[in-house]
Amino acid sequence: MIARAVVASLLALAAATGSAWAQTYPGNATAPRTTDPGALAARARDREIHERFARGVAAEEKGDWAAAVPEFARVIVLDPPEPKGSTARYDLAIADAHLGRDDAAVTLLDEALHRDPGFAAAAATLVAVQLRRGNVSGARTAADRFVAIAPSAAMAHYSRGLAALQGGDLTTARGDFRALLDADPSYAVAHYDLALVELRDGHDDVAQFELQRALALAPGYARARFALGTVLLRGGRRADARVAFDRCAHDAEDPALRALAIDLRDKL
Amino acid sequence: MMTRMRDLQRWAIAAALALSVGAGVAAGAELLQGDPALLASSAPPALLGPITEAGRTGWNCAPEHAATARSVTSAGLPRD
Repeated sequence: MIARAVVASLLALAAATGSAWAQTYPGNATAPRTTDPGALAARARDREIHERFARGVAAEEKGDWAAAVPEFARVIVLDPPEPKGSTARYDLAIADAHLGRDDAAVTLLDEALHRDPGFAAAAATLVAVQLRRGNVSGARTAADRFVAIAPSAAMAHYSRGLAALQGGDLTTARGDFRALLDADPSYAVAHYDLALVELRDGHDDVAQFELQRALALAPGYARARFALGTVLLRGGRRADARVAFDRCAHDAEDPALRALAIDLRDKL
Repeated sequence: MMTRMRDLQRWAIAAALALSVGAGVAAGAELLQGDPALLASSAPPALLGPITEAGRTGWNCAPEHAATARSVTSAGLPRD
């Protein structure tokens, strides 16, 4: 009897405290209502920004850059707070860049970075656009900013390495490509770019070593094969250079590179 | 007669273009032998994708992740 009474009281206690442990849910929220014109206008503006972002991003994901432009341009006119302001400028910039409007893209990316100085994707895109339009000093400035934002990022080192190589700053270019290779020694492209740095610095033997490493990693890398042929030719190894140009002519997908390789091969 | 003249004109233009391309290639080849600076570097990184209104700190923002990735593969860097 006593045991039954103890069990019953324990069950009763458990039932009483059980509700405190169970997850609770809030009741239905009342729908927000206002008749204030300012509040209604702000709500309409927020809704328009949300809809235009959704439409613009959907257009860009389909590659319909022209359709995305008016959506993000309108968001910028509506002037949303961060992060939407910098994001809209970034999204409009990539649409402009795909449409060949590189000058407009650069301006927008600068504005995005002014609003959000830690925006790595905007910094990366700015370097890519500046490199593409051949603005070497602009690319270098943007690349330095990118490395400052993301010092351990592979894309930051790759981008600055290219900008430095094109600008003739071989020390920085060498450091960036070496940093890439420290992180990933199997990246054949970094070996190739490092070889170009060494070639321009007059270190043909180091360049040849890097090109051979690139080709060991990627035997069909036609651009590296062509560069190796050039190094061999400079070293007076005409027969080896001819073999390299012949292989390049076989592997190259770029018709200009293929034509150049064939021409050099036939002259040797 | 007019058709034959037009055909001849087309052949002449094609031949001139082929010669000019050949001359350009030959000149390029001679330049390359002396100046390694004419070898082109690898391609710039591809443009990144769009970002939603949640911004770069939003959940799973692929462009920001690619831009800050430490590995070459995650960054999506060019392969040639």
